[in-house]
Amino acid sequence: MTADQEKFIADVVEKALAGDMDAINSIEDRSVRAKAKASLVKAKRAAKAQQKSDAPAESDSPNQQETAETQSPLSILLNSTYPDEIIEVLDEGKTIQLHPKQWNEIATFLRDHPEALLDQMECLTGVDLGTEDALQVRYNLHSMKHRHKIEIRINTNRDKPEIPSVETIWRMTDWFEREAYDMYGIVFTNHRDLRRLLCPEDWEGWPLRKDYEEPETYHGIMVPKVKEGWE
Amino acid sequence: MKEIGSIRAEEMVLNIGPQHPSTHGVLRLKVKTDGEIVSEVIPIIGYLHRCFEKHAENITYEQVIPFTDRCDYIASMNNNFGFVVAMEELMDIKVPERVEYIRVIMAELNRIASHLLALGVYGLDIGAFTPFLHMFRDRERILDIFELTCGARLLYNYMWVGGVSHDLPRNFETICIDFLDYFEPNIPEFNQLLTTNKIFIERTADVGVMPAEVAISYGVSGPNLRGSGVKWDVRKDEPYSVYDKFDFEIPVGTGDHGTLGDCWDRYWVRMLEMQESCNIIRQALKAIPDNGDVHAMVPKKIRPPKGSIYRRTESPRGDLGYYIISDGSPTPFRLKMRSPALTSLSVLDEISAGWMISDVIAILGSLDIVLGEIDR
Repeated sequence: MTADQEKFIADVVEKALAGDMDAINSIEDRSVRAKAKASLVKAKRAAKAQQKSDAPAESDSPNQQETAETQSPLSILLNSTYPDEIIEVLDEGKTIQLHPKQWNEIATFLRDHPEALLDQMECLTGVDLGTEDALQVRYNLHSMKHRHKIEIRINTNRDKPEIPSVETIWRMTDWFEREAYDMYGIVFTNHRDLRRLLCPEDWEGWPLRKDYEEPETYHGIMVPKVKEGWE
Repeated sequence: MKEIGSIRAEEMVLNIGPQHPSTHGVLRLKVKTDGEIVSEVIPIIGYLHRCFEKHAENITYEQVIPFTDRCDYIASMNNNFGFVVAMEELMDIKVPERVEYIRVIMAELNRIASHLLALGVYGLDIGAFTPFLHMFRDRERILDIFELTCGARLLYNYMWVGGVSHDLPRNFETICIDFLDYFEPNIPEFNQLLTTNKIFIERTADVGVMPAEVAISYGVSGPNLRGSGVKWDVRKDEPYSVYDKFDFEIPVGTGDHGTLGDCWDRYWVRMLEMQESCNIIRQALKAIPDNGDVHAMVPKKIRPPKGSIYRRTESPRGDLGYYIISDGSPTPFRLKMRSPALTSLSVLDEISAGWMISDVIAILGSLDIVLGEIDR
């Protein structure tokens, strides 16, 4: 790259950072345009890193930060009613990790309390965290009336994964709990009809666990292996 | 209905499917009947299970997009859309305005195509053959537009993280306006053929009533939920992309010919939604920036920051959600697709008990399920 070119690219990048993307887009030569775009990305990344290193200096004392973290009204409500059941409040109170023991009772409370009214279960996701205390279920809840959301996370161990079922509280979880059971082997206690949902009834193992190994044969049929070099 | 139901006969189990024209795919229904009255419907699914979520953990984020095409193969654009919206929110990418408009136009065109198929096939389930042909004729024109834009008729892989694969063809606007001018006058024709047809109303009105509380508890969403009179649409209530810039109505069921939340209401909401989609496309064609890049600056290999996100979008079948957990590598740590058709099918048992066997087919058709998305 000649010195002229370098100066030209630096110029257009400066223009683009100020918001004028046309300066780069209108470059005729393709290779020069690509170089300009690459240096723009670099400049942006550098600016972001700068911001991040600046941020902690500007933030307030740790005490105030803590109150900001529990600011969501739903987490305050939960904290005042079931303080012993909460393990951790994350993400400014939008995500709460709970003990599994009283989950059924808390679920009823969340659905029926006039300030919560979380009547819609958006999604139920099973997760294999890949560590010792490994399996987790995440519930995304939403209120049709108040239009607020919360995510509940409940951990369970890999050897004896058990979580109380909320199938009677949100009927939607009936099939989603069956799916989580199917894929992770998480037993939802008191579920009225806990069977596999997508895999055949006599399938062995829990396919979405990280340590899953597919069986060699199924009813005498070879199970195809994962092909190498897909990436 | 109760009077007939009070006479008990011996219970019989009737098996519908897995290969059956009325089950819209490979679905098996175990129907417990008492005479001709249905007492329980047990759907058995999984025949199309392709381990989408397991596959996704072994491939890169870009490679996931063609897989989402194949989940809901009737509305592939909307499936792409949901995934890229979630990814861009996770990675904090701002895409060019032109891309947002292109995506909205494509998603709404696909919504019309999907509803045309749903309504046409629904007529076929009930016994009306003609509307099916009329609606497929129009759907074909939309598929032609897609073919012109990205080369594929059904499985597009069109929306990418940070952009779309191709820019619009040169005369796209005129083609699109031509189609809308041709299509909009056809909607009253559909109404004459099917909506106000006496037999159709007799078969669908008051049948399979789904009260709003039941729908919400079962997580039913989209046109099925709106058919029960709940004014909820992710495009309006949790706007994504540029949907907050358009002026459109959310049609809800009114119980014109029977009870609120019956099969006819669910059908009617879809019919009205096609008109609203046309309005959105017209507004988008006016507001779209004339030229500009159709790719945001995204690195070749996508590596989202560590974290997780759940984002839902409005697909023609309802709330389509993706739960993405990233560990900072180029492959997803966990990818969950919250399928709207799965929740719609799970409510079938609740609303079809007490109806006749032929009504179960009418109720199943009104829920508009796609088995590819249910089984994933």
